[in-house]
Amino acid sequence: MRTHRWLVPTLYIVFLMLPIYWLLNMSFKTTNEILGTFSLWPLEFTLDNYRKIFTDPTWYNGYLNSITYVVMNTVISVSVALPAAYAFSRYRFLGDKHLFFWLLTNRMAPPAVFALPFFQLYSAIGLFDTHMAVALAHCLFNIPLAVWILEGFMSAVPKELDETAYLDGYSFSRFFVKIFIPTIAAGIGVAAFFCFMYSWVELLLAKTLTSVAAKPIAATMTRTASTAGYELGLLAAAGTLTIVPGAFVIYFVRNYIAKGFALGRV
Amino acid sequence: MAKISLEKVKHSYLAQPTAPEDYALKQIDAEWQDGGAYALLGPSGCGKTTLLNIISGLLVPSQGRVLFNDADVTQVPTTDRHIAQVFQFPVVYDTMTVFDNLAFPLRNRGIAEAKVQKRVQEIAGMLDLESSLRRRASGLTMDGKQKISLGRGLVRDDVNVIMFDEPLTVIDPHLKWRLRSKLKELHKRLGLTMIYVTHDQTEALTFADQVVVMYDGTVVQVGTPVELFEHPNHTFVGHFIGSPGMNILPCEVENGTVRCAGHAVQTASSGRPGSDAEKTEIGVRPEFVRFDDHGFPVEIIKVDDLGRYRIVEVRYEDQRVKMIVEEDLSIPSESARISFDPAATRIYADGWVVN
Ligand SMILES: Nc1ncnc2c1ncn2[C@@H]1O[C@H](COP(=O)(O)OP(=O)(O)OP(=O)(O)O)[C@@H](O)[C@H]1O
Ligand SMILES: [Mg+2]
Repeated sequence: MRTHRWLVPTLYIVFLMLPIYWLLNMSFKTTNEILGTFSLWPLEFTLDNYRKIFTDPTWYNGYLNSITYVVMNTVISVSVALPAAYAFSRYRFLGDKHLFFWLLTNRMAPPAVFALPFFQLYSAIGLFDTHMAVALAHCLFNIPLAVWILEGFMSAVPKELDETAYLDGYSFSRFFVKIFIPTIAAGIGVAAFFCFMYSWVELLLAKTLTSVAAKPIAATMTRTASTAGYELGLLAAAGTLTIVPGAFVIYFVRNYIAKGFALGRV
Repeated sequence: MAKISLEKVKHSYLAQPTAPEDYALKQIDAEWQDGGAYALLGPSGCGKTTLLNIISGLLVPSQGRVLFNDADVTQVPTTDRHIAQVFQFPVVYDTMTVFDNLAFPLRNRGIAEAKVQKRVQEIAGMLDLESSLRRRASGLTMDGKQKISLGRGLVRDDVNVIMFDEPLTVIDPHLKWRLRSKLKELHKRLGLTMIYVTHDQTEALTFADQVVVMYDGTVVQVGTPVELFEHPNHTFVGHFIGSPGMNILPCEVENGTVRCAGHAVQTASSGRPGSDAEKTEIGVRPEFVRFDDHGFPVEIIKVDDLGRYRIVEVRYEDQRVKMIVEEDLSIPSESARISFDPAATRIYADGWVVN
């Protein structure tokens, strides 16, 4: 039995990595090879797919658009959530418990529910097909999430820290920026990570609220049936590249996330 | 430095307090003289922290005024009150080094860097923190962190008052004793006003010139340790201070005569409780109970030998009385008669002394 202990984890990892490996594998093949032969690694190794993405504006603009609204959304969500979470963690006010709960229920509705009202609203005020449109729409889901995560981290900081800072001569705003925010940096990292990930993978609202100027990469990918049929190699390369930012962000916040789990939030 | 007065201060944590129970502080009139070493003594939940937070401005009292040198500061924010406060649990700025933690209150007041260096070194030396000055504060033990909190409280020499809210709870007993004597020494040297909250009477009595005893949201007595011992104003003070605490025995008062279980008792109180008193008691410390052939009969139930003296516990009806007996006196075996020293026996009506 002992000798087979590695078996289960290995199978598990293979199972998880297989699709990703396959994507990577395909991205280095030509479309013909993908359609023509079955091989575990590229027979005709090519970087053409990637070259195309990095040189063709219709492709790389998709990435730029996605990253733009995702970053905007993350910044807005976290900066709005910080004061809100502080209020929930430090003050008791009428109905605070209920409000906290209702904030979270927003997340229970599928984004599709909000697609039509947002489309209507943004068209009316001229926000349609802007990065801001998608960023704001995603805030509807991300602000409550960020408030909830940050509230957990903030409540773990004793209120005596605030009080000591006032005693030591700091005003509230200086305390908040210079002491409190660094203290809960881990929480901010975790909140930002979840906002980033949600906004990065959310497709429905992002597609509905944009047409050309702010079209996200995922939308570009679903419209690649060219005259030559589906360009599978190109799609695989694009897919691989969409994993990169996520992996990058995870790498930076992995320790914070562990802390977040330890605190029981996340 | 300043004289601090509280005038008719009441505080409730509720938005709309109605009953007296809604108030964490019932009504406080107190005065803290400039340069005094005060201990604030009382059981858990009696409002000690609330009182400190009102003095430091972290809380604005529901009613009443706070005065520094007779100037009303009730609405002045904490930052402008120039107060140092050390809490029960360590508070450190995790992102800073130990040095920066200690220097923080000074730098915020625009003190010249040369003086900051000097003060921080001095305080760090006093608290044995020199070796860790360059380290990040977050890596220290509880003890170490609490020393930083203390140091940050002590580093300014221009504060109106330094308040310690049970600062040594998390510190091990040996270090506790040393830190307490350091604080006392510092008080002597700098002449700062200090208020020290504790619910440990030895800590209070060794630290303070004046002890303020709080009970259930009120200040029941302010006095020197000797005054509290000899003239407790309230049964709580008698019971809380002294070891063992004062004996408090129910009594009846008829036509001016005080009787305990039917036996007349002489007291030092010349007044008598009003007829509206719900509860009348006598209070007498164990030090002033003695064996007396003309006293009233009791049964001896327990003897504790503490070396120089013994604590004897006796019983009449269902009342227990403790008495301290010198080691050279003999103790009768089962039954005995005891009496109370009239000069040290007082009547208490509903808890408050009758003089
Ligand atoms: N933030 C708060 N909100 C509501 N009630 C509070 C709050 N802080 C304290 N209280 C209540 O006020 C009363 C006095 O509390 P306080 O903390 O002043 O007591 P304390 O004497 O410092 O006790 P301890 O020795 O346990 O520290 C307690 O009954 C407590 O439950
Ligand atoms: Mg307290």
